[in-house]
Amino acid sequence: ALADPAGCDAGEMVIKFSHVTNTDKHPKGIAAELLKTRVNEQMDGKACMEVYPNSTLYDDDKLLEAMLQGDVQLGAPSLSKFETFTKVFRIFDLPFMFKNMEAVDAFQASDNGQAMMSSMERRGLAGLGFWHNGLKQFSANKPLLEPEDAKGLKFRVQPSDVLVAQMEALGASPQKMAFSEVYGALQQGVVDGQENTWSNTLGQKYYEVQDGITETNHGVLDYMVVASVDWLDSLDEGTRDQFLEILDGVTKERNAAIAQVDADARQGVLDAGGVIRELTPEQRADWVAVMKPVWDQFTDDVGQDNIDAAQAINAQF
Amino acid sequence: MTVIILFGLVIGFMLIGVPIAVSLGLSSILFLLWFGDTSLASIAQTLMQAFVGHFTLLAIPFFILASSFMSTGGVAKRIIRFSIACVGHLQGGLAIAGVFACMIFAALSGSSPATVVAIGSIVIGAMTKAGYTKDFAAGVICNAGTLGILIPPSIVMVVYATAVDVSVGRMFLAGVIPGILAGAMLMVAIWIMARVKNMPKGQFAGMGEVWSSFREAFWGLMLIVIIMVGIYGIPGITGAIFTPTEAAAVASVYAFIAAVFIYRDMGPLKGAEGQANTPLWKKPQALVTAWFHRDTQKTLFEAGKLTITLMFVIANALILKHVLTDEQVPQHVAEAMLSAGFGPVMFLVVVNLILLIGGQFMEPSGLLVIVAPLVFPIAIELGIDPIHLGIIMVVNMEIGMITPPVGLNLFVTSGVAGMPMMRVVKAALPFLGVLFIFLIMVTYIPAISTFLPNAVMGPEIVTR
Amino acid sequence: MHAAPGESFVDRIEETLIAVILGAMTLITFANVVARYVFNSNILWALESTVFLFGWLVLLGASYAVKKNAHLGVDAVVDICPLPVRRVLAVIAIALCLVYACLMLKGAWDYWANFANLPQTGGRWFPLGFEDRFRSKSWYEVNDIPFPAFLGFLESAMNEGEAYEKLPRFIPYAVLPLSMALLLFRFVQVALKVWAGKLDRIVASHEVEDEIADVAERRGES
Ligand code: NA
Ligand code: NA
Repeated sequence: ALADPAGCDAGEMVIKFSHVTNTDKHPKGIAAELLKTRVNEQMDGKACMEVYPNSTLYDDDKLLEAMLQGDVQLGAPSLSKFETFTKVFRIFDLPFMFKNMEAVDAFQASDNGQAMMSSMERRGLAGLGFWHNGLKQFSANKPLLEPEDAKGLKFRVQPSDVLVAQMEALGASPQKMAFSEVYGALQQGVVDGQENTWSNTLGQKYYEVQDGITETNHGVLDYMVVASVDWLDSLDEGTRDQFLEILDGVTKERNAAIAQVDADARQGVLDAGGVIRELTPEQRADWVAVMKPVWDQFTDDVGQDNIDAAQAINAQF
Repeated sequence: MTVIILFGLVIGFMLIGVPIAVSLGLSSILFLLWFGDTSLASIAQTLMQAFVGHFTLLAIPFFILASSFMSTGGVAKRIIRFSIACVGHLQGGLAIAGVFACMIFAALSGSSPATVVAIGSIVIGAMTKAGYTKDFAAGVICNAGTLGILIPPSIVMVVYATAVDVSVGRMFLAGVIPGILAGAMLMVAIWIMARVKNMPKGQFAGMGEVWSSFREAFWGLMLIVIIMVGIYGIPGITGAIFTPTEAAAVASVYAFIAAVFIYRDMGPLKGAEGQANTPLWKKPQALVTAWFHRDTQKTLFEAGKLTITLMFVIANALILKHVLTDEQVPQHVAEAMLSAGFGPVMFLVVVNLILLIGGQFMEPSGLLVIVAPLVFPIAIELGIDPIHLGIIMVVNMEIGMITPPVGLNLFVTSGVAGMPMMRVVKAALPFLGVLFIFLIMVTYIPAISTFLPNAVMGPEIVTR
Repeated sequence: MHAAPGESFVDRIEETLIAVILGAMTLITFANVVARYVFNSNILWALESTVFLFGWLVLLGASYAVKKNAHLGVDAVVDICPLPVRRVLAVIAIALCLVYACLMLKGAWDYWANFANLPQTGGRWFPLGFEDRFRSKSWYEVNDIPFPAFLGFLESAMNEGEAYEKLPRFIPYAVLPLSMALLLFRFVQVALKVWAGKLDRIVASHEVEDEIADVAERRGES
């Protein structure tokens, strides 16, 4: 459906939220719409939120520049986009760092996770909450059961040093490509495979042009809601607290729903005729053995303490 | 209301002779300063983002460069010879061959004016010598030249795909059937006119001439094969090799090699006036010197200059697009149109009208950047396929190029043929009718546009 | 009418630069295809460096196009006006171009300055001096292009001694204020010509003006 123009009244503080997904199917888009509705209801007269979906206003890269410049107030880029600000976020890209989404959630809520949210404040950016998308799966134009199957294949990846290193560990060739060309490139064989969450695989219909999706759950694709420190400081305390409280409510509500969203998307792929391959524990151990050494390259960036904390949390699930 | 002021500024500035790019950029800035609260820095960011954020737009300089190498070399001449050998013996054959040559050149080049210059500068003179009126010749080429943006590759399609975020490869495929259909309709119209007016008829020079002219033109025609196979692969034999953007870069390198080392129409191996070309084995250092040769530099520069003027318009149009988005104008327009109860038919009529009128003032790619985001959300809401909408827009641009008062192809044809504008306008009129019928067909028969891309790439994903 | 290329030394520098940038863009992209298809490898910085070169080409070239009157425009209305009116319109048009270039220059400086550890200008549209406090963004790196070792001195000069892994953004972005300053300079030159009555329009009516001039020339000869 069309996003209806919020029609802000005079005197209302305008909060522009720019993101890159649709408004009604993607976990991030759904959460953003919910936040908009709540803010416009509960803060009517004080604040007014406008959502700009589908990269119509900014892509994630330019969003952060514009936020520091003061031209947009809110955004939720994927965590790997924050690498420029601080390298600790590389922990979420490291393969097999987290056992499942419960572990991711618990880590983000822990002291280590909360410290990450404020780690960019010296560079003018404040983290306001983690929003889930889910764990990533591999897909390719041939069955991927053992790590050797990925050897020599070309994988489209996000621009992230960790993901490049991960693909190289597999003996695969990482490729960079405009998002709108990925479907065509997979179908036509310009690249062989990609990695993504269930929602994205379903939304982009990658299952149509891939041999199958292998349920590796090897990495995390999550988002962080951010605002500029200067903007937050400019709000009066009552407004800021009310806004952050609404945001917190939306974050908890949508994050709690992610397991269902993920399961639905996975089922959606199956219903649409997509092939899903599950790994035996032995096969999975092989993938871990090949990919986990990537950690060593980035321990200094993400901090041993963060890795230890993540592993301690994994042990609880 | 405020939007009307904005577009009023744009058009007003243009009409008094402000460059299109500046008209677009300055109006956006003034609008922003007046109504918005976004910073001037965001305008500069958007200008940079026009290049850095739109990977697909890169196809534009590369296709311009490939086309430059192909026209600097005598590829157009060879294509025309091949076309005449194939269809020159029909009644009105030279004119039909002119259309055929425009279609082939359109498959090498992404722009309509470039097609008119390349083919028109040879064919119009040849037709006049063969006994056609100059007006008829100019009318034919002026119209057939518009196929430059409908038959892939096409700069206008790249711009559309970028503006609404659909796949360039899909748009290109969508242009194939309409392009061939439009060309065929023009040829049939010419053939009928030729029978009625008893126009000249060439001699069939035999299959030998067809074959030898084909061999001559082969290396030029190969470029089409490289682009198509490169982007789409051959089913069952090979997958695709590159994205449409990369295809454009590969095409440039190939065109350079063809022009310098195979045809030797330019570069170090080209013979001096009236002398034979030098074979490579006699001058092997050419393998190195060709890259820095004066001709290479000149072609790169010419293509670069054209890229600059076109992209500066597009980049400023993207600034306007950004300001419109920032002020949520597309949503307001969509809301107004939907609440006015527009159905798909009425909507498409309105889109056609906007583009036909806008096409009078604007360079086509710049116009698309602005109009596409305004109408796209409505089209999706009304269930119109984005690819179909894209082809409708391209055909509208084609018609805008040959309708008075202002039309890119009218200007160019008048220049190439050395005729006053008004005479070209009159000459182009009969064929304009053909394109109008074609526009109606394309508008109301979506399958013409969507059949091929859906067959090859599966149905379009609509995500918003 | 149309200016011949390479008339002056500065022309030749600009024209060579245009050719070299476009050539580099083409070769980098081509090399990436070869790397991927032939060697099953990649050049991860290829795409990003090509788009930056693309920006440089067009932004720097924009001022060259002003000098050569090559910017596309509509001269149909101008054509039917009598000369005195045409003169007045040209003066208004170039004045608007000057306004555009000034505003763009302020915007470009404001956008780039903090990346380069410099203050933005104050004021919404008219620069009212420099801001005295600002948040530096000189640590802000591009996504893919590695930081070249020979620029190592920048780490202490710009980044408080912290290492750069990737090229800092102020380097590719520097083209913005530079090109807008050049644009303003060229518009001022054109304005002087318009004022002196040496020029009655500042646009080209279409993209193939030079080619058509060539065709006309050939037709004249034969
Ligand atoms: Na074409
Ligand atoms: Na027109």
